[in-house]
Amino acid sequence: MTQHLELRSITAQYGTTKVLEDLSLSVQAGELVSLLGASGCGKTTTLRLIAGFLTPTSGTITLSGRDLTRLPAHKRDIGLVFQNYALFPHLSVLGNVAFGLKQRGVPAVQRDARARAMLERVGLSALADRLPAALSGGQKQRVALARALVIEPPLLMFDEPLSNLDAKLRVDMRVEIRQLQRANGTTSVYVTHDQEEAFSISDRVAIMHAGRIMQFDRPETLYRRPGNAFVARFVGFENVIPMRVTARHDEAVTAEASGLNLKLSERVLGRIPDTFMLATRADGLSVSTDPNVNGIPATLGLRTYLGRAYQYQCDTPAGRLVANGALSMPLDPGGAARLVPVPDQCCILALEEAP
Amino acid sequence: MMSSRVHPGLVAIATLVYVFLIGPLVIVLGASLSDTTYLTFPPQGLSLRWFENIFAISALRRTIVTSLQIAFLATFLALLIGIPAAYALNRYRVQLPSWLGTLFVLPILVPEIVFGFALLKSVAVGAGTPIYLALLVGHTVLVLPYVVRVIGASLASFDFSVEEAAISLGSPPVRTFFTIVLPNVRAGVIAAFILAFITSLNDVSVSLFLTGPGISTLPIQILAHVEQFFDPTVASVSVLLMILTVGVMAVVERTLGLTFLAK
Amino acid sequence: MKRLAGWILSAPAIVAVVGILIFPVGAVIATTFMDPRGTFAPYASFFNSGFRTTVLFRTLQIAALTTAISLIFGFITAYVVSRAPARLRSLLIVAAVFPLLTGVVVRAFAWLVILGRNGILNNTLVGLGITDEPVAMLYTQGAVIVGMVYLFVPLMILTLVGVLENIPEDILQASSSLGANPAATFWQVLMPLAVPGLIVGAVLVFTGSFTAYATPQLLGGERQTVLATLLQQRAMVSFDWVGASTIAAIMTAITISVVLVMTRTARRLNPMTT
Repeated sequence: MTQHLELRSITAQYGTTKVLEDLSLSVQAGELVSLLGASGCGKTTTLRLIAGFLTPTSGTITLSGRDLTRLPAHKRDIGLVFQNYALFPHLSVLGNVAFGLKQRGVPAVQRDARARAMLERVGLSALADRLPAALSGGQKQRVALARALVIEPPLLMFDEPLSNLDAKLRVDMRVEIRQLQRANGTTSVYVTHDQEEAFSISDRVAIMHAGRIMQFDRPETLYRRPGNAFVARFVGFENVIPMRVTARHDEAVTAEASGLNLKLSERVLGRIPDTFMLATRADGLSVSTDPNVNGIPATLGLRTYLGRAYQYQCDTPAGRLVANGALSMPLDPGGAARLVPVPDQCCILALEEAP
Repeated sequence: MMSSRVHPGLVAIATLVYVFLIGPLVIVLGASLSDTTYLTFPPQGLSLRWFENIFAISALRRTIVTSLQIAFLATFLALLIGIPAAYALNRYRVQLPSWLGTLFVLPILVPEIVFGFALLKSVAVGAGTPIYLALLVGHTVLVLPYVVRVIGASLASFDFSVEEAAISLGSPPVRTFFTIVLPNVRAGVIAAFILAFITSLNDVSVSLFLTGPGISTLPIQILAHVEQFFDPTVASVSVLLMILTVGVMAVVERTLGLTFLAK
Repeated sequence: MKRLAGWILSAPAIVAVVGILIFPVGAVIATTFMDPRGTFAPYASFFNSGFRTTVLFRTLQIAALTTAISLIFGFITAYVVSRAPARLRSLLIVAAVFPLLTGVVVRAFAWLVILGRNGILNNTLVGLGITDEPVAMLYTQGAVIVGMVYLFVPLMILTLVGVLENIPEDILQASSSLGANPAATFWQVLMPLAVPGLIVGAVLVFTGSFTAYATPQLLGGERQTVLATLLQQRAMVSFDWVGASTIAAIMTAITISVVLVMTRTARRLNPMTT
């Protein structure tokens, strides 16, 4: 039943514009993988290629060894949940759910029973005879889910399924989707631009940008150890400082950027190359008024209140940085301070061309 | 990269439909250029003599002028009374009864030929209105629904809080209408003008009954001409009208973009 | 206050429609019930006349056939247009708008040139030796229907393109993702969703061809008299105004009932407006 999906060096272009470039992706059997990125990054194109609504310029798509690349959409046997639900407005809830079974030649009686059983699972039995226009957003979403699941597809795909729901319902629905997906063990691809949604629901997340996968990893790894500056900024590392190593003593490293010197330890940060970028979230730079501490000299700017801390916009020799300071000690703009990197909140990235 | 394909059989049928749509007009164009005294296609010998003939025939010349006058005046009058009505229907939707919208659709619902006959009977003969005036008011009402509906559609998507913003900034209501509302529904006004003008210019069924000594419209004169002569003059007049249509479409393209025509 | 402003602004247009359309048309219809021979006498003489009932049924038949043919070809064409790439699609729409903006007289005249005794079609047939002498094509019901279809297919295409473009692409994709082949998607999804639009298009074409004057006049002549040409004859040639008014009343009644019944049906069948 559960199968693995394999995309091999997919290139896709509209006219001369390349939308995807040499994209490869492997989704293990039973796994839920999210494609995450801003609009235009190629995530939806990837989904539509897998669904068969688009054909790649080159590359192959296989599902457990079966080549799908040139197969028409209606022969691919993929369950798809659309952003706007795409329910058939002229069919009842039951008719919508039974539609796929009808196409597979399932006899009417069985079709009805299976569709009703599926509606039971998503808690919509009572609405079986309603038309989609008479449903709320959350109910429509459940019908769309039931309709895709009832055909027991070897692969299930979601195209921003929750983007039209309000915040509370979004959280409930994603838990529900994950539970159904886990229970069935269906291999799934989930497209979203919402980082929290992707991280909370997925086994692995592919962060996409400009038609490429920037990093494909477990959410925990992406969040703590981004592999490059793009992903780092994407997951909220606001401060990215290019640096150069000036001295090494065992694991203690001294690094320099625009005249400021910083002592770093490879024990926590891992190996530090001669040139690198130091990336932190605002949490990873703590504001200190002690002028002798190992930190980045800064002039404090605007202070905002975050609830758990104060956040400061800071001017430093390395440019504008964002740092957090203790609630017990609000500091005024214009004052001098040091921004101290918190080792386990920092991350070392290989130096690259600015994306 | 492509989406799913349409069945080639359907494409073939659609292609034939388009040949059917455009072909006859091409034939008229060809026939108008023929050097012969009878209608033929493909044209034998090329000549513009039948275009010159249009202006040699005084009845045609006169009706062209009448038709253009009526079309301009009727469109102008319809805009004059139709724009305030369309504005009122949208701005005061809640305050006005809903049948008012239906009222302005009636001229489309009543068969044109019935409308024409009724105009003859009640307005021209019954009330003794001069033919030219009857023709003008008839055409005004005939094109009014286009004005009210097209401009109404533009106004429906206009955010009236913009108007309120202008008034709150000290602009008097009437001036606000001309400086704020009207420029924002410009596309609708142009479209309404064109639709109304073309409708009036091409009208047969209403004008049919409102002919009198020395007064007739071009389409009616063409009908009469065709029944008497079978020379290429009518083809030439038709080509002139087609050129006018192309001109109108070019204006639409310039101001609104051609996709606007698809609404 | 606002209410008053609304009335004042729409007053000129209301006066125009009531005074120039509703009152005169109402008067025409009213006179048919005030005949000295009896309340329904004009209708009795209409329906007792074999010729006039023949004209009525001919008109209905021509309108029905025109509607059916326009529906079939209009729908297929609209489907192809709606699936065409954007650039081509707007070109095809313009190509349908152009004949629509060209007057009815010009468009009927074009078929006169084609179907006439010495028209292109006859010249071609004789030239190819398919027939020895010209076939009488003009002044037949076929000629009128061809002219009418020519008149109304663009309207049908434009109406249906609008309808089909309003059917979201992802609903059709949902259908194929659930395993429906293109034919199943067409019949089980596209068609049911297009039905309300098809009805609207059919009403437009039916009422239009039911009341058309120039095309049956030019291509049908006296042999194919329809209600519109009969009305004109009664009014302008025979000066039988009661007869003309009766025809006018019958045309109005049929047109308005078709519009009312069918638009109500279309609204009921439209799943989007539940």
